[in-house]
Amino acid sequence: MIASILKVLLFPGLLFLGVYSFVLEFVDRKVYARMQNRKGPPWYQPLADMLKLVGKKVILPNNAQKFVFAALPTVSLTAVVTAFLCAPVWGMQAVTAYEGDLVAVLYLLSIPTLCHFLAGYNSHEVYSTIGAFRTLTQMFAYEVPLFMAFLSPAILAGSWSITGIAAFYAARPLYVLINLPAFLIALLTSQSKLERAPFDAPEAETEIVGGALVEYSGRYLAYFRATAVSELTVMASVIAGVFLPFFTGNGAVDFALYLVKTFAVVLVMVLLRATMARIRIDQTLKFFWSVLTPVAIAQMILNLLLRGGLGL
Amino acid sequence: MSERNDHKVVLPIGPQHPSLKEPGSFKITLDGEKVERAVVEIGYNHRGIEKACESRNYTQDLYIIERVCGICSHAHTSCFCQAFEDMAGLEVPRRAYYIRGIVGELERLHSHLLWLGVASHEIGFDTLFMYTWRDRELVLDLLAQIGGNRVNYGVNTFGGVRRDLEADLMQDILHVCDQLEEKIKYYADLATTETTLIARLKGIGVLTPEDVRHFSAVGPVARAAGILDDIRVVEPYGVYKEIPVNAVTDDHCDVYGRTLVRVKEMLESIRLIRVMIREIPEGPISVRAPRKLPAGETLRRVEAPRGENIHYIRSNGSDMPDRVRVRAPSEANWHGMSYMLEGFQLADVPIIIAAIDPCYSCTDRAVSLSSGRDEQIASWDQLRLFGIEQYKKNGIDPGSIAIRPF
Amino acid sequence: MNAEQVVSALNKRFPALAAHTPREFRIWSDFVEPKEFEAALRFAFDELRFGKGKHIVGTDEGEYIGLSYIVSNDENILLVLREKVPKAHPVVRSQGGLYPSMVLHEREMVDLFGVSVSGLPEGPSYPLPDCWPEGQYPLRKEWNPAYFNKETMAYEPPKEEARE
Repeated sequence: MIASILKVLLFPGLLFLGVYSFVLEFVDRKVYARMQNRKGPPWYQPLADMLKLVGKKVILPNNAQKFVFAALPTVSLTAVVTAFLCAPVWGMQAVTAYEGDLVAVLYLLSIPTLCHFLAGYNSHEVYSTIGAFRTLTQMFAYEVPLFMAFLSPAILAGSWSITGIAAFYAARPLYVLINLPAFLIALLTSQSKLERAPFDAPEAETEIVGGALVEYSGRYLAYFRATAVSELTVMASVIAGVFLPFFTGNGAVDFALYLVKTFAVVLVMVLLRATMARIRIDQTLKFFWSVLTPVAIAQMILNLLLRGGLGL
Repeated sequence: MSERNDHKVVLPIGPQHPSLKEPGSFKITLDGEKVERAVVEIGYNHRGIEKACESRNYTQDLYIIERVCGICSHAHTSCFCQAFEDMAGLEVPRRAYYIRGIVGELERLHSHLLWLGVASHEIGFDTLFMYTWRDRELVLDLLAQIGGNRVNYGVNTFGGVRRDLEADLMQDILHVCDQLEEKIKYYADLATTETTLIARLKGIGVLTPEDVRHFSAVGPVARAAGILDDIRVVEPYGVYKEIPVNAVTDDHCDVYGRTLVRVKEMLESIRLIRVMIREIPEGPISVRAPRKLPAGETLRRVEAPRGENIHYIRSNGSDMPDRVRVRAPSEANWHGMSYMLEGFQLADVPIIIAAIDPCYSCTDRAVSLSSGRDEQIASWDQLRLFGIEQYKKNGIDPGSIAIRPF
Repeated sequence: MNAEQVVSALNKRFPALAAHTPREFRIWSDFVEPKEFEAALRFAFDELRFGKGKHIVGTDEGEYIGLSYIVSNDENILLVLREKVPKAHPVVRSQGGLYPSMVLHEREMVDLFGVSVSGLPEGPSYPLPDCWPEGQYPLRKEWNPAYFNKETMAYEPPKEEARE
C-alpha cells in the first residue's frame, strides 16, 4: 500500500514527472538554441523560470469569471499528471495499468487543450479570443489523426492498455515497423497538440501576441507552463511506450532505455520546431485532413486486416 | 476588447505589438480570420528632423540626416551630400565615389539580411532569423571597422568621404564577401525549396504592376512586380556610372517575389563590392567644400536598400538650408498597405507589413524628445561640454566656438 | 516621351509654368495659382502619363505657402508642379483622386503647414500627435521650436513677440 503510494507520489510518479519535465524542457530549449547557433540557457533555467513565475503577482481580468479563470490551470495540470501514471517508465509496467488506459490517456490529454480554449474564451480579450478559437480549430484538425495513429498499434496488439501494447510488441519487435506511418503521424500530431512550430498558430506571437493565455500571469500562468512541459514529457513517454516498445526485462536498464527513447522523441520534435516556419491555421487544417487523416485511416485498415491475416 | 455589433472584431496591432519593431498602429477589422478592412496609422516617430535642419548649418544637418534612419543611414547622407555637391558644383574624387559605393552596398547587405531575419521571425521561423542576424554581424563588424560605428558610420562628407579604405581592410571585406556569398546562396536555395516558407509567402500581399504604379510603390516591392525602378540603373549616380548594376526583378508580385528580389540583390551587392574593390582608383578622398550654398534648389535621389530615396534642398544663399525635405523609400510603400492587407488572413498581416521592410522613423523623419528627467540621458549642453572636455585632453580647445541658438 | 518633349508640351498648354529641364530626369516649373496647377497636374496625369505621385514639398514663401507636387512617369522623370496659396487662407483641393500616394503627404501639409485640403478622405491625421495644440504649424518659418513646451504641449512665445 505504502509502496504504491510512494510509486504514485515519488517514482515513477509525480516527483519524477516534475524533475524529468524540467530536464526535457532544458533539452528542448538547449538543443533548439544550439540548432539556431545560440548558446542556450543554463541547466537550471526552466526551474528558475518556473520559480520566478510562481512568485509573480496574479492579475485577474475584470470581466473574466474569476473561479473558472483560477481553476483552469489546475484542472489542466491535474489531467496531464494523471495521464502520466499510465505510461511505462520503470520496466514494462506502468504505475497504473488497466485495459483501456490508452483511450483514457488520450482523453486526459485533450483536457489541457480544452482548458486553453476556455481560458482564452473566458479572458474576454480580443487576442485571447482569437487564440482560443484557433486552439479549438487546431484541435479539430489533429484530434482524429492523433487518435487513429495511437489506436492503430492497439488494434494490431489487441490490447487497449499501453502496458499491454508494450508487452505485445516487446515480444514481436519487428511488428513495430508496420506502425511506422502511425509513428510519424503521432509525432506530427503531438507537435500540433503541444502547439509547437510549425503548428503554433494558436499562440502565434507576432500575430496575436501569445493567444489564449495572453491574460494569464503569475502562478496561474506557471501552472499552464507546467502543463505544457509535462504534456511534452507525457506525449514522449506514451509515444515511447506505444511505438518504441523495446525492453530487456531488467527494470533499471529499461528505465535507461526509456530515457533514451523519450530523449530521441523530444529531439525529433525539436528538429521539427527548428526547421519550419509557422503555417497558417487553414493550412494546418488542410494538411491534417487531406494528408494525415487518409494515411491514418489506411494504417488502421491495414492493421485490422493484419490482425486477422496474421492470426493473432 | 473591441467587438462590434455585427460580430466583427477590430483587432488592434500596435502601437506596441510583438510583430512591430517600431511603433505604428494598424486597426484590422476581422471577419473570422479574414482581414476585411485595415486602417494604417503612423506618425508615432515624428521627430521634426526637417524643422531641425532648417535651424542648423549644412555640416550639422549632415549628422541629423544620418539619423533619419538607423539602417539606411548611408543612403540618406549619400543623397544629401550629392544634393549639396550638385548645388555647390563640387567635383568629387573618383576614389570617394568608390568608397561610397562599397559602404552603400555593405549597407544594402546588412539591411537585406536584417529584413530576411525579421520576415522569418514574423512567420515563426526563428531559426532562419537567428542565422541571418548572425551573418549580419559580419557586415556590421566591417562597417564598424570602416566608420567606427555599427549603424551611423559617418563616412560621407560634403565633397567626398571622411575615411579611406586601407588595403588590408579591403582584404577583410573581400574575405567577408566570400563567407557571405556561400551563406546567401544557401538562403536563396532555402527560399526556393523550403515548403512551409513558400506556403507562407506565396500569393499574399499581392501588388500587380498596375497597383504598383497606382500606389507609387518603390524598391523591392516594385521590382517584385517586374517594374525596374532601381535608381542605380535608371539614373546612375556616383560609382554606378562606371560600374553597371545588373538589376534584379521578379514577376511573382507577392511577398515571395519580394523575398527573392532581396536575396538576389544581396548576391548582386557582393558582386558589386568585389568589382569596386578591384577597380578602386588611387587618389584623394575628398575636396574642400564651401560652407555656404548659392541660392537655388535641387532634387536628388539614390537607391537605398528599401528603394528610391529622394532629397530636396532649397538654399537661400546662407550656410543654413531654407528647406530640407526627405522622401524615404518606406514612405512611398505605405500608400498601398491597406490595399495589400485587405482580403488576406490575419496570419498574413505581420509578414505583409514586414514585406515592404517598413522603417517607421524613416517615414516619419523624426530623434525622440526625452523629458530630460532621467539622469542617464545627457542633455545637448551636457554632451557638448563632455565633447569639449574630451577634445581638451587631446590638446584642442573648441570651447570658443559659439553654437547657434536653436 | 523624353524630358524635352514633356517640357514643350507643358509650356505649349501652360505658358505660366515656365517648365524647364536643367538636368536629365528633372523638370521644374514655377509656382502658379491652384486652378492652373490643377489643370496642369491633370494634363500631366492624363496626357503625359505621369502616373506616379512621388512626394509633396511644402515650402514657406513668406506671404504664401507653396506646395510642390513631384510626380513621375515610367521613364522615371521627376516633374515638379507647384501651386501657391496665401498663408492667411490656405485652401487647396486634394489630388488623392489622381494620386492615392499623395494623400499621406497632403495630411502632412495639413498638420505641418496648416493648409486645409478639401476632399481629403477620412482617416487619421499625420504625423503630429493627437494632443498637438490647435493652430500650431511647426514648419511655418515663424514657428520657433524653442517656445514649445514639451511637458504641457503648449506654444508659449515670449510676451514681446506676442504683442507684435
